[in-house]
Amino acid sequence: MTFQQAAEAHLDDVYGYLAWFTSDRFAAEDLTAVTFERALRLWHRFDPIRGSARTWLCQVARTVALDHFRSERRRTRREELAAPPEAIDFRFAEGLSPDLEAALARLTAGEREVVALRVLLDLDAGAAARILGISPTNCTTRLNRALKKLEEALHVAA
Amino acid sequence: MSQRDLVAELRAAHVEAPPEVRERVRLVAAGAPAPPRRITWRRSLGVLVPVAAAIAATIVFARPPKHQQTALEFGNRPATIAPNVGAATDRAAKAFAVPSPKNRVQTYDATLSLRVEHAHDVSDGVKRALRITTSLGGYSQSVHAETHGSSAVADLKLRIPRSRIQKAMAELAQIGTITDENVSTVDQTALLNNTDREIARLQKQVAALRTQPKSEENDRRIAALVTRIERLQRGEATTRRNAHYATVSLHLETPLVTVPQHKHGPLHGVVVALKWLGIGAVYGLAIGAPVAMLLVLLWLGIRVVRRRRENALLQI
Repeated sequence: MTFQQAAEAHLDDVYGYLAWFTSDRFAAEDLTAVTFERALRLWHRFDPIRGSARTWLCQVARTVALDHFRSERRRTRREELAAPPEAIDFRFAEGLSPDLEAALARLTAGEREVVALRVLLDLDAGAAARILGISPTNCTTRLNRALKKLEEALHVAA
Repeated sequence: MSQRDLVAELRAAHVEAPPEVRERVRLVAAGAPAPPRRITWRRSLGVLVPVAAAIAATIVFARPPKHQQTALEFGNRPATIAPNVGAATDRAAKAFAVPSPKNRVQTYDATLSLRVEHAHDVSDGVKRALRITTSLGGYSQSVHAETHGSSAVADLKLRIPRSRIQKAMAELAQIGTITDENVSTVDQTALLNNTDREIARLQKQVAALRTQPKSEENDRRIAALVTRIERLQRGEATTRRNAHYATVSLHLETPLVTVPQHKHGPLHGVVVALKWLGIGAVYGLAIGAPVAMLLVLLWLGIRVVRRRRENALLQI
């Protein structure tokens, strides 16, 4: 598989993962481009025996997203002194109910991330765990907690 | 809504990248170079294993066998094996050809070590050395011979007239193979001249005392001087007698230890290499295990800290 083929095949997955992870469409668009630029530089390290291109691209995307979160946190700390941050109106996906959108928005980035990987991208526990750098059991536990939280939020909304 | 319905709704959601992102990524991917031929560990092994096997086979089977190889040990001294006895004799004769002026008095000491093949050759060599010595007008000062099974050793101290020493050394060298030779000459002429002058001076004193009136004190001094003169004259005579004879220390011996080398099979090198690898592994384990443990602990610590920071970062 060439890089072009991998980029073409998994662009939506990477974008979706980043969009749910950051819950920021504009950030996700930028981070997607940055992810593929970095992936192009690191493409020689990709080994199809060790994992699929989608998993590898998600790993790169996660590193990019974490860098983004770190810089955002620093920026937010500085700007919070001057003015409180504005709430961004974001839709996670087409076809989701407003209650589910609201419930997803209330999850933490870590919880949204595991939901995105396991549910949206439909990765198995092993692949998702590899991206997150944790054990598959831990990954499943995180997913269950996130889903329970979503369920409770929907229950309250109903 | 049940968790199953929730998951089903989430899975039904479709997220698609905006066209501008797609275009940006397409531009990025367009700059990708052609994929280089990947060198995987399997491919590397496919080349390295046959090469290593070929090298090992070459080393193991191309080594010449070292059968029938023996090492001779002569104490701490390496043996100098002469190609033949005649050449050794010539060499000995030349080595001992120290010029000796007729009008000078010199003491001459020589050491000659010879190797013979068998224990009975040592016995024969002793007899022959004594015969040579007496035939040249010399005598043996001491003889010591010892035999232990197949090995034997003999030490002789021979006194040979100085004028015939070269001939004696040439004949003695024929007894065996020379392993060591040493010559030392000391000129005694200056010492004897000094002694002569001292004797003359003392004799003058004695003559002067004899012209004086006779007294007990005078007689006592004359007697002391005469005793001293006689002692000096005896010493001088001893020196001249010693210089007349050369001292030759002859050492005969059979090879002390014959160490036959073990016959090694073609895989001996591999066994030795494995043995050293094992020793290295034990040392490596003893030293490396604590270091590795520390590194693992450090890595775990760093991982925990990083995980905590990451979790804190994702609690937003």
